Amino acid sequence: MQAETRSNAARINEPFAAAAKAPPDHGRETGASRTPDRADAASRTVELRIRRQDGPTTAPYWQSFRLEARPGANIVSLLMDLREHCVTASGEPVDPVAFEHNCMEEVCGACAMLINGVPRPACSALIADLETPIRLEPLPKFPVVRDLMVDRAQLFAQLKRVKAWIRIDGAWDNHERAPRISPQDWAANYLYSRCMSCGCCLAACPQFGPDQAFVGPASLAQVRLMNAHPTGRHDKAERLHAIMADGGLSDCGNAQNCVRVCPKEIPLTTAIGELGRQTTVQALKDLFGGR
Amino acid sequence: MTMLGLTRQPGFAMSASIQNPHFLLRRLHSLLGLVPVGAFLIFHLWENSQSRFGATHYNEEVVGALQGLNYLLLLELFVIALPLLFHAGYGLLIIRDGQAEPRRYGYLRNWLYWLQRISGLALILFLLLHVGLTRIAGLFDPSISADLFSHMQQALSQPLVFALYLIGVLLAVFHLANGIATAGIVWGLTSSAEAQRRFGWFCAGFGLLLAALGVHGLLGFLIAPGAGGGA
Ligand code: HEM
Ligand code: SF4
Ligand code: SF4
Ligand code: FES
Repeated sequence: MQAETRSNAARINEPFAAAAKAPPDHGRETGASRTPDRADAASRTVELRIRRQDGPTTAPYWQSFRLEARPGANIVSLLMDLREHCVTASGEPVDPVAFEHNCMEEVCGACAMLINGVPRPACSALIADLETPIRLEPLPKFPVVRDLMVDRAQLFAQLKRVKAWIRIDGAWDNHERAPRISPQDWAANYLYSRCMSCGCCLAACPQFGPDQAFVGPASLAQVRLMNAHPTGRHDKAERLHAIMADGGLSDCGNAQNCVRVCPKEIPLTTAIGELGRQTTVQALKDLFGGR
Repeated sequence: MTMLGLTRQPGFAMSASIQNPHFLLRRLHSLLGLVPVGAFLIFHLWENSQSRFGATHYNEEVVGALQGLNYLLLLELFVIALPLLFHAGYGLLIIRDGQAEPRRYGYLRNWLYWLQRISGLALILFLLLHVGLTRIAGLFDPSISADLFSHMQQALSQPLVFALYLIGVLLAVFHLANGIATAGIVWGLTSSAEAQRRFGWFCAGFGLLLAALGVHGLLGFLIAPGAGGGA
């Protein structure tokens, strides 16, 4: 069946296929090849090349490892196996490789790293689908804590900068029934709510980086989501003003890498287009008056 | 606590977009790229596509008609030169802030992002050459503006100059066509991915037509009837 070859995220949105268009060309293995019956695949020896770094300010260096990948293994499980017996390909015992993971089902975003040069979550990167030797590098654009661990605090800072929250305690009466949302709006909004702050989109964005002011696509998508919320829309103008300031929406150069690499298939470029329209209208209101 | 203090919680301070010039400058850059600069490019290529009608028609109907315009210098300054200067200057600032990696992320839109910047840089060089050889040179040597057709014909019959003009025209057309496609996203004309793709193909078609017009204009100088200058 067609649906079985789609990722979970895409399948959930099947009834609203129009709103849930998957990005056209991921240029890499996505849900399409993630069939669960990998158990019959034979275990194989893989070569890992890992870019290591002992601390935030020390120089990075490369180390190679050779180890047995169990059937069905992914990058996180392989790194766990490596941790038990961390010896380089040339037989030298070294400190275990530091990395982050949590959910193991591509919903927490903690494990994102560069795998063979592409930013993606490690837990959903199956060894069987990867070309060897496998190159692992920390997620670019973020400060390295150690080895494959990066500090993604600035992603949270960007979310705060664009006011990506909803005020439920205000000066108005909130003791109403839950606001109504049409199923069509719900389906469209739902796509954005799946962001797991992994930072892959930011890693791939040519306009985002430590020396650049750009907020990046992930926070912009959350502005799109919060502005559509029945309560959140009351602060729409404030959020739009936040993304109309330095480093805001207009720093996007429309390279659209973000939507290609996002593991949750979040329609980031649709959010950017919709926000383009919202900011155009907002600028007219600011210029000529109106709320 | 005032009433305002209750409704305006920390972090919700008003900062109107028009008090922060960033947004307006970016939109101005985009707008000027479309009109007047982009509109002028279309007009310019259409005018020059008449080169194949020969020296008399070109010098009198095309160049002569334009040279007779009222307030020509003001128009040239405010409709072409200054908008282009702003667009190019601000474009350089934009280019400085990005770091394209077209090899790592080989997606079509990423290549176009990179090419938009490369073509912008190349256009600065080409326009310096082009404006210098025609409009500026004409200021010093009136015979050039009197018979612009022969001047262009002589220049274009040198293979190197022809190649430079061909590249310049194609890059300008690409930059405009791709710029219209991205401006659609910037201004919010095209919001869904599907609409962006559809409009992208529309702009590609427009670009091909405009490129044909531009190349036809270049060739026209060489194939025009009674063309004597280069022979
Ligand atoms: C002479 C040097 C030029 C430079 C350095 C330059 C630079 C740029 C850059 C960097 C962008 C991308 C803006 C962004 O993505 O945010 C851009 C966009 C654009 N340029 Fe230029 N450009 C030049 C000349 C031209 C010319 C001759 C035209 C007209 C044919 C033009 C029309 C446009 C348009 C329509 C856009 C789209 C704006 C948008 O995406 O909103 N540019 N230019
Ligand atoms: S938008 Fe996608 S790639 Fe970006 S942080 Fe969210 S889940 Fe990760
Ligand atoms: S479309 Fe914008 S946000 Fe997305 S990768 Fe390109 S520049 Fe970054
Ligand atoms: S461990 Fe949560 S996304 Fe990979």
